[in-house]
Amino acid sequence: MNKSLLSMVITLVVILAIVAIGVFFIDPNLEFPIDQATVPARFLFVGIGLLIAFAIYYSTRENSAWEVGTRQVVWMAIGAALYAVFSYLFNGTVFVVPSVSQVALRPAIAIPMFFGYTFGPVVGFFTGAIGNMFGDAWTGFSLSPQWSIGNGLVGLISGMPFLFGDKKRSLDTVLWTGGALALLGTVLYFLNPTLPNTLFFDAANNIFGDAPITLFAGISILVGFVLVLIVRFVFGQNLDIAAAVTWGMLGNILGLLFAALSDIWINGYSLPVAMVGEFLPAAGPNLIFAAILVPLLVVAYRSVQRQSGR
Amino acid sequence: MLVAWRYRKRPNSIIQKFDPRAWLIFYACFLFATLSFWDVRFLLPFLVVALFTLFTSGVKWTEIRRALIFIIGFVFFFAILTFLTGRGSSELYEEEHLIRELRVPISIFGWVPTLKITVERVFFAVSQLVRVSSISIMTILIPYSLDPRLYGVTFKGLGLPDQFAYAMDLTMRFIPTFGRDFQLTMDAQRARGYELEKLSGGLFEQVRKMGPIFVPVTIHAIIGSEDIIDAMDLRAFGIGPRTWLDVLDRDFKDRLLIWFGVAILVGSIFLELFGYGQFWVPEALIRWAGG
Repeated sequence: MNKSLLSMVITLVVILAIVAIGVFFIDPNLEFPIDQATVPARFLFVGIGLLIAFAIYYSTRENSAWEVGTRQVVWMAIGAALYAVFSYLFNGTVFVVPSVSQVALRPAIAIPMFFGYTFGPVVGFFTGAIGNMFGDAWTGFSLSPQWSIGNGLVGLISGMPFLFGDKKRSLDTVLWTGGALALLGTVLYFLNPTLPNTLFFDAANNIFGDAPITLFAGISILVGFVLVLIVRFVFGQNLDIAAAVTWGMLGNILGLLFAALSDIWINGYSLPVAMVGEFLPAAGPNLIFAAILVPLLVVAYRSVQRQSGR
Repeated sequence: MLVAWRYRKRPNSIIQKFDPRAWLIFYACFLFATLSFWDVRFLLPFLVVALFTLFTSGVKWTEIRRALIFIIGFVFFFAILTFLTGRGSSELYEEEHLIRELRVPISIFGWVPTLKITVERVFFAVSQLVRVSSISIMTILIPYSLDPRLYGVTFKGLGLPDQFAYAMDLTMRFIPTFGRDFQLTMDAQRARGYELEKLSGGLFEQVRKMGPIFVPVTIHAIIGSEDIIDAMDLRAFGIGPRTWLDVLDRDFKDRLLIWFGVAILVGSIFLELFGYGQFWVPEALIRWAGG
C-alpha cells in the first residue's frame, strides 16, 4: 500500500473512530442527546460520507494533495481546534449576538472552507469533521455524526482546487453547478413556505426548531449565491479569492445537502422538511458568511505569506 | 504559548497512579456498562465507584466547584423536567400508579395545569439522576487528571498512528489556547470601542464586522503554527517511527484495572441480555399507590 493511500485510509478510519467515541461516550451526557434508535442509520451515513471522500481520493490518488506530512498534521489540529472554539463561542448561548430574521451570526463555517482551500482536502476534511464533533460536544448539543461528516465534506470539497493544475478552468462549472442547486433549493422553499425551521435556536425564548421558516431564511441560499457571484466577478483578477469562495460554496451546498438528506432516513423527515427545514437554513446563511469572511481570511493569509516568505 | 487544561500532578490521587490508557479503557467500560441499566439497584454501585473515584482523585472542591455545580444543576434540571412532563420515560413502562395529583386552581382557556406524581415517574427521575451523575462525575475528572503531555502518547498507545495521535493531541491542547486568544483579541478590540454584542447594520454589515475578531485569531493561530512545524521538522517528525519523551508503563495494577473494567462491561452485557437491570419500581410502592 503506497504512502498516500495509507494516509487516506488511516484518516478515514481515525475520523470514524472519533465519531464513534463521540456518539457512544460523549453524546449520552449532552443536553439534547440523539435518539439511540437512530444510531445504526447515522453510522450508515457516516460510512457513505467516508466512502464519498474515499472515492474522491481514489480517483485522484496520484495527486500530492493527499499526502499528510508535518505541516498537514499541525494545520489539521489548528483547524479543528479553531472550528470547535468558534462553533462553541457563536452557538447563540455564549455571546447573545443579534439574529436577523432567523439567520444567526455563526461564522465558524468559514474555517473548514478556508483551511480546505488553503491547506488541502485532507486538512479540510479533518477540520470540518473533527472540529464539528468537538464543537457540538462542547456546546452540549447532540452529536450528529452524519452532520460532522457533512462538515468534513465541506472542507474536503473546498480543498479540491489542489487536485486541478489550472484553478481557473473548473471555476465556472463549479459556480453554475452551485447556482443550479441554490435555485433548486429556493424553488422548494416557495413550494413549501410554511414548514418549520428545524435548526433555529432562539436562546432568549428557549425555542428550538418549532418556528416556521422566514422568507429571508428560505431565500438565503439564493442571496448567498448572488454574493458569491459578485465576489467571483468583482475579484475576477484575484483568482485566489474567487476560487476559495466558489469552491467553498460548492462544498457547503454538497456537504450540508448530504447531511440534510440523510435525515430523511434517520429522522423520518420528508424531502421538503429535510430540504426546506434543514438544508436551506443551514446552507443559506453559511454561504453568506463564506462569501464575506473567506475572502478576508484569504487576503490576510496571503499577506502573511508575502511577509514571511513561506 | 499553549494554555493547558486544569491538570496538575496530585500526589494522593488514585486515578493518577494508573497508566492513562488503562484509565481510559476502564472509563469506556464503565460508561458502556452504566448505559446498560435503568434499574436503580444496579446503577447505585456505579455511583459508588464514581464517587469513590471523585473523592480519591485529589481534585479540590475549589478547582472543580464551577464545573461540578453546573453538572449537578444540569442533571437535577433534566431529572425534574422529565419528572414533571413524563417525557422520555414513558417508553420504559406501560402503566403508571398514581400517588397524588396536584391541580393548580386556575383554568387557562379550559386547560387546568395538573401534575401527576406517579411511582414510575419518581423512580425514573431517581434512576436518571443516579445514571447521569455516575457518568458525569467520571467524565468531568478526565481533564483534571489526565496530563496534557500524555494525550499524544496515550492515543498512540491506544493504536492510532503517530501523525494522527499527534494531531489529536494538538487539537485538544489548542482548544483552550485559542479560547484564550479569542478572549484576548476581543478584549483588545473592546478597548478600541468594538462590541461584539452590539453589532449594528444589516446582516452583511454585521458579518463583515466580525472580521476584526475572526481574522486575527485565525491568522495568529496559523502564524504560531510555523514554530510548531519547525520544531517538529527539526526533530524529523514523520520520517520514521516516533519516540515519545514520556513513556507509559503498564504494570500489574493497570492490567488489573483494565480487567476489572472489562469484567464489569461483560457482566453488564450478560445481565442485560438475560433481562436484568430493566427499569424497576418496588412492588411495595405500587401496592401502596393502590396498584
